[in-house]
Amino acid sequence: MTDEFKSRNAAPPEERGLQVPPIVHSIVSPDESSCSFSSSPPSGNVGPVLSIEGVTKTYTTETEPVRALDNVSLAIEAGRFVALVGRSGCGKSTLLHLAGAMDFPSEGQVVLDGVSTRHLCEGELTQLRRQKVGFVFQSFQLLHTLSVIENVELPLLLAGRADPRPAALHWLAAVGLADLAYRMPHQLSGGQMQRVAIARALVHGPRILLADEPTGNLDSATGNSILELLQRISSECRTTILMATHSHEFASAVDVVVRMRDGRIEEVAVR
Amino acid sequence: MRSSPGYIWIRCAAIVLLLLAVTGHAADYDRALPGYHYQFPRDNFDHPRYQTEWWYYTGNIASSNGHRFGFELTFFRQGISRRPNPSPWYVHDLYLAHFALSDLTGGRYQHAERINRAGPGIAGADAAQHAVWNGNWRADIEPNSQQLQAMTNDCRMDLRLTPVKPIVIQGRNGISRKAAGVGHASHYLSFSRLLTSGSIRVQGVRYTVSGTSWMDHEFFTGSMAPDEEGWDWVGLQLDNGTELMLYRMRHKDGSVDPFSSGSYIDAGGRSTFLASADFSMRPDGDFWTSPHTRGRYPLRWHIAVPRFGLDCTVTTSLDNQELSSRFGPSYWEGAVTVQGRQSRALLRGVGYLEMTGYAPGAANIEFP
Amino acid sequence: MPYLCLFLRLIVRPMLREKTRSLLVLFAVSLGVAVALAIELAGDAAASSFHTSLQTVAGEYNLEVRAAGGVPQSLVGDLARLPWAIRVTPRIEDHATVAATGETIPLIGIDFIAHANDPDGARFSLPQNTSIFNDINSPDALWVTRSLCDHVGGTVTLLINDRQHAYTVRGFLPSSAQVSGDVAVMDIDAAQQATGKRGSVDRILLKVPDRPGFAQWQQRIRTLLPPGVQLLPQGSETAANRRMLAAFRWNLRILSYIALLVGAFLIYNTISVSVVRRRAEIGTVRALGAGRRAVLLAFLAEAAVFGVLGSLLALPLGRFLAGGAVRLLSATVNALYVSSRPGPLALSTGSMALAFVVGIGVAVASALAPALEAARVPPTEAMARGRREYDVRVERRRDAVLAVLLALAAAFTSRLPALGGKPVFGYIAALLLVAASALAIPALITILMPVLSAALRRLLGVEALLASRSLAGSLRRTSVLVGTLSTAIAMMTSVAIMVGSFRQTVVTWMECQLPADFYLRPAGEPGADRYPTIQPGLADRIAKLPGVAAVSRFRAYPLEYQGLPATLASAELDSPQARQGTEFLSGQPSSVVLRALATGNNTIVSEPFANKHHVHTGDALTLPLGSRAVPFHVIGIFYDYGDEGGIVLLARSTMLRYLPDPAASSLAVYLTPGADLETVRARIREAAAGTDVLLFSNGEIRREGIRTFDQTFAITYALEAVAILVAVLGVAGALISIVIDRRREFGLLRFLGASTSQIRGLILVEAGLIGILANFVGLLLGYLLSLILIYVINQQSFGWTIQFHWPVAVLIAALSGVYAATVLAGLYPASVAQHLNPIEVIHEE
Repeated sequence: MTDEFKSRNAAPPEERGLQVPPIVHSIVSPDESSCSFSSSPPSGNVGPVLSIEGVTKTYTTETEPVRALDNVSLAIEAGRFVALVGRSGCGKSTLLHLAGAMDFPSEGQVVLDGVSTRHLCEGELTQLRRQKVGFVFQSFQLLHTLSVIENVELPLLLAGRADPRPAALHWLAAVGLADLAYRMPHQLSGGQMQRVAIARALVHGPRILLADEPTGNLDSATGNSILELLQRISSECRTTILMATHSHEFASAVDVVVRMRDGRIEEVAVR
Repeated sequence: MRSSPGYIWIRCAAIVLLLLAVTGHAADYDRALPGYHYQFPRDNFDHPRYQTEWWYYTGNIASSNGHRFGFELTFFRQGISRRPNPSPWYVHDLYLAHFALSDLTGGRYQHAERINRAGPGIAGADAAQHAVWNGNWRADIEPNSQQLQAMTNDCRMDLRLTPVKPIVIQGRNGISRKAAGVGHASHYLSFSRLLTSGSIRVQGVRYTVSGTSWMDHEFFTGSMAPDEEGWDWVGLQLDNGTELMLYRMRHKDGSVDPFSSGSYIDAGGRSTFLASADFSMRPDGDFWTSPHTRGRYPLRWHIAVPRFGLDCTVTTSLDNQELSSRFGPSYWEGAVTVQGRQSRALLRGVGYLEMTGYAPGAANIEFP
Repeated sequence: MPYLCLFLRLIVRPMLREKTRSLLVLFAVSLGVAVALAIELAGDAAASSFHTSLQTVAGEYNLEVRAAGGVPQSLVGDLARLPWAIRVTPRIEDHATVAATGETIPLIGIDFIAHANDPDGARFSLPQNTSIFNDINSPDALWVTRSLCDHVGGTVTLLINDRQHAYTVRGFLPSSAQVSGDVAVMDIDAAQQATGKRGSVDRILLKVPDRPGFAQWQQRIRTLLPPGVQLLPQGSETAANRRMLAAFRWNLRILSYIALLVGAFLIYNTISVSVVRRRAEIGTVRALGAGRRAVLLAFLAEAAVFGVLGSLLALPLGRFLAGGAVRLLSATVNALYVSSRPGPLALSTGSMALAFVVGIGVAVASALAPALEAARVPPTEAMARGRREYDVRVERRRDAVLAVLLALAAAFTSRLPALGGKPVFGYIAALLLVAASALAIPALITILMPVLSAALRRLLGVEALLASRSLAGSLRRTSVLVGTLSTAIAMMTSVAIMVGSFRQTVVTWMECQLPADFYLRPAGEPGADRYPTIQPGLADRIAKLPGVAAVSRFRAYPLEYQGLPATLASAELDSPQARQGTEFLSGQPSSVVLRALATGNNTIVSEPFANKHHVHTGDALTLPLGSRAVPFHVIGIFYDYGDEGGIVLLARSTMLRYLPDPAASSLAVYLTPGADLETVRARIREAAAGTDVLLFSNGEIRREGIRTFDQTFAITYALEAVAILVAVLGVAGALISIVIDRRREFGLLRFLGASTSQIRGLILVEAGLIGILANFVGLLLGYLLSLILIYVINQQSFGWTIQFHWPVAVLIAALSGVYAATVLAGLYPASVAQHLNPIEVIHEE
């Protein structure tokens, strides 16, 4: 299924080349190393995990069209921990959604692990998400009616995987919450909830973890611990992380800082 | 009388009765012919062999304090069918009845009528029961007294009538002729003087009354001739103990039929037949036009019977005594007083005057 | 002004925002009100028609004379001759079937001649220069309503008793007669002849003067009448029928309120959801200075808006539904009670007021609890969604205890006797049970949901997990939804069980009660108060046919006993075959009791009669027969399901002593052993040539009986269907609100890899789960309610013994239908959920 999917959807290099915008912010990954979080090493294509090529995104609001992203190009190599920094409304979230195959660009294309989202249908987008993307949100977004472990299992269940429990337990243990597996979310602290959310985002072994202000709802100590966790994930299992944040504090913790402003990439700083 | 194009209300049944009378199978009935052998009291009751029959009670009565009334209570029987049928609901005869009370002192006239079939005892004239009745209007006819009862929602009359004189068989050879030709006649019986006492209640006031009444009983089949329009009839009870009955049959051209006749009953009860040559009876002015039927009635009559030296005038104290009927022809039937002379002696009396055939649409009156 | 502002902000805006949902609730409420209104209107129409059809050309009267088996006609003359100013009007009142259309119409015989005396009597329109007297002795003359035949001289063929005869139209009933439906009028002579009622009339109407007083007149006339003849205020038969009809109408009215009750659940749900959802908003407006009363009023006003708009919509809808209801209703009324034709449907001020009172009342009452809750929201409320659900979870145990108490109260209440002849306590018990089940539902869901979810997860995967958790999570809302649907299902189930049990009881009874091989009755639609006859000679002719062992003649007359209509009947019990079949409450063998019945003045009465008049075996019963009042000895009470008014049964020989009319109402023919059914059938047909009788074999008459039975309950089914429709609409509406409330969750699921079809599946599974739970609860509650219906309400209002029976096929069909409808109701909400934009909704707070 996956092979067929790739072969059908990956555009030929020449064609892709035509779409490449003049400036490509290329983020090169560090050397691959073993990952203690992962039960199976992430398989990957050669080339960037995420490639955003001349992407423009316009929304039509009630009054006028709003250009959320304006001709943005960005390529992220596997294993990189990238921070998207900018004020709210600068296009960080839009970029994340495009990267997570939640939406289509108005212009340009997004290539996720070698697959361009441009010609995918709704179902294929879902498939792509299930395989390659994990999301972490500012407000944790746990389902209150499910227990912690069930929340973690959810992506596997939605993808139709049988016996998701070991993987879920593994990832819960990895984020340090093995003993809380059967609690309900409202019994957890904010930091714990976000850890559960991270475990959930990783449980299906995605190629890229997209985190939208993951520390935004946490106090700074807890926020730091979450950041550390993400760092560990990035370093230990080479999961590519694209994290949107409006805070510059965490810049030091990441490999690359992409500064955005008004829908454009202002600066790419590789540490 | 409301009517709509093409259809009329049952109120116009009058025409129908006429129609029935005219189209009825005359062959089913006997005609009034000379030589009828009367049997009493049987002949006081019904004669189904004759198509039409009536019992006519009229009288002048007054309360002890002088409140004067006239009354009319009439029972009609009209043959409809003589086909044998055991059901009492089968209409062999129609029974009609008129009840009128003339408050002469109060100047008010009120009347009511009803129509019924014999049904299971609803109406009839039955020798076995000694009664003629229509619902609860009834005359119980015993040899020595008769009892009258009639009522409406607002008046009621109960009278006891005692014949002073024997029954009179009017006419000659047992028939009273109305026109030339066989069968234009009726069997006509009269009680010319009935002492009357009893009570009436009008508008919640009860009067104990007494006076004199007259009763006519006729039965016949189609007595009138085609060219006859109506008749005028008087029955007078004079204060010298005699009675006079006269009728004149009117032709459409206004002439009077020579078969008009009458009778004079002396104080002893002996009756003398009066042929048309024996008397004169003519309208003498005082015309009154009915607001209901537009009929124009002469309310003053001059009467003379030279043979008995009788010359008198008949007048009424109440103009409107017209019985305007829903079910049959309308006619004027009212209490009258008589003033005149008999062989120079002053004469007074009371009586009833009947005039038929004056109301428009009631030409060819056969009935009643 | 601040109130208005508050109202706009808290109520109107949210309502407008969720148009579909608001409309669904509105429609459900208006449907509920409309059904109640429709039943009221249809009931009025059915009852009024009965009144007018008998009052045809009657004029104004105040007393009436009646007697079982007819009033001897000699009384007409006796009364007419009474020396009082009384108007006396005899009438033949019967029915005829119009051959051309099969329609059964009132056939009235009046004395056309005496009628002319009645200044108030209806006038007939006639052709010029004719009168009613023209045809007075014609046995074929007929006066009709113009709808029956529109020209004078036209022919109308009527089936009267077992004879068809062509009548000639001589004129028309006037429009002033205010006749509803077709009527035929004859002269009393022709009518007597046509109906075979020689010697008697059906009724004598009397108009007595105002003074000295009604009671005095009644007393005065009573003393003049023979003992068996009844003197009653005019219209008392109508009143008696109304009284009997009252129980039926009352029960029907209650049934018609089921849809409204379901609607009340929906309003409760809607307002609860608004309150929960707008807690923060309420907190804000409270903080801004709105008082508790203002908040309370705002939410009550929301309910009132639903009530007012719903009632307004209900007026045309109710009028429309009444059109259908009146047909079903009059079928029932005809089959069970009295020949009637629906009168005009009139949307009177009263009925409109009723709609509004009921609509607004129910809406406001059901909003009271959530509105009070809203008023208790403190101004400082910063609301976490879980909290409210937590509250419910805490109260769950208390509610369960309350539910048990209510159920006990229901059990107690169901034992109480009828109140004023109405099973008030039965219905209270039913309501208590409904309330108990509503309170028990949260506990039940918490118990059942894990089991269900485990089972379903295996079958349906993650959607089942999510759906079951979400339903269990928003326990309160789920409970109300399950409560709504299960109440409707319970009502349906209970009525289905009751009707099914009744039906089975009747089937069993018929098997026993109908032992003969053939039955004959006059053609024409049968009716509870119609007693057409078969001419006497036919029974004799059939009895002589080869292959026929015996013929039993059954004769029925209408009877008014203690102000209630009943049937006075006689059966021929000479042959041993005819003495089989009747089942007695006492359990005595039929042959013993029936043999005793044939001797002396003995009678047996049917169970409904015994219940209505508190008659026991061994009691004495004085029956008016013709002009006599005859004492009888009750020697048995038998089961009967054919006549709600009840039957008093005599042996034919006994009956003939008092009412000598030899004609039969129906014949039962017993064949000799070994006789061929079809051969004998052909012989009977031949013998019956020239008469218009229907011949049924044993099997056919049973099918006919069941057909009538089913027809009778058609309206009940219709009412159930509407209640279910309201509930399903409610489920659809609630699912839409669930979708709106949980849109962020759906968005999240999309982020986590859910496909749109999974989202859709999730909603459908939720609908399905609600359906399963509601079916489960509904079936359980329905079973309990059916016990109340059968053993309390039916017993108290109709007095029938019904054997309990599960109508399995009907229930399976109905419940799966409801289940399918519930799932289908999820389709639209599912499609709404499917088309949510996950990016938009994920960031909404």
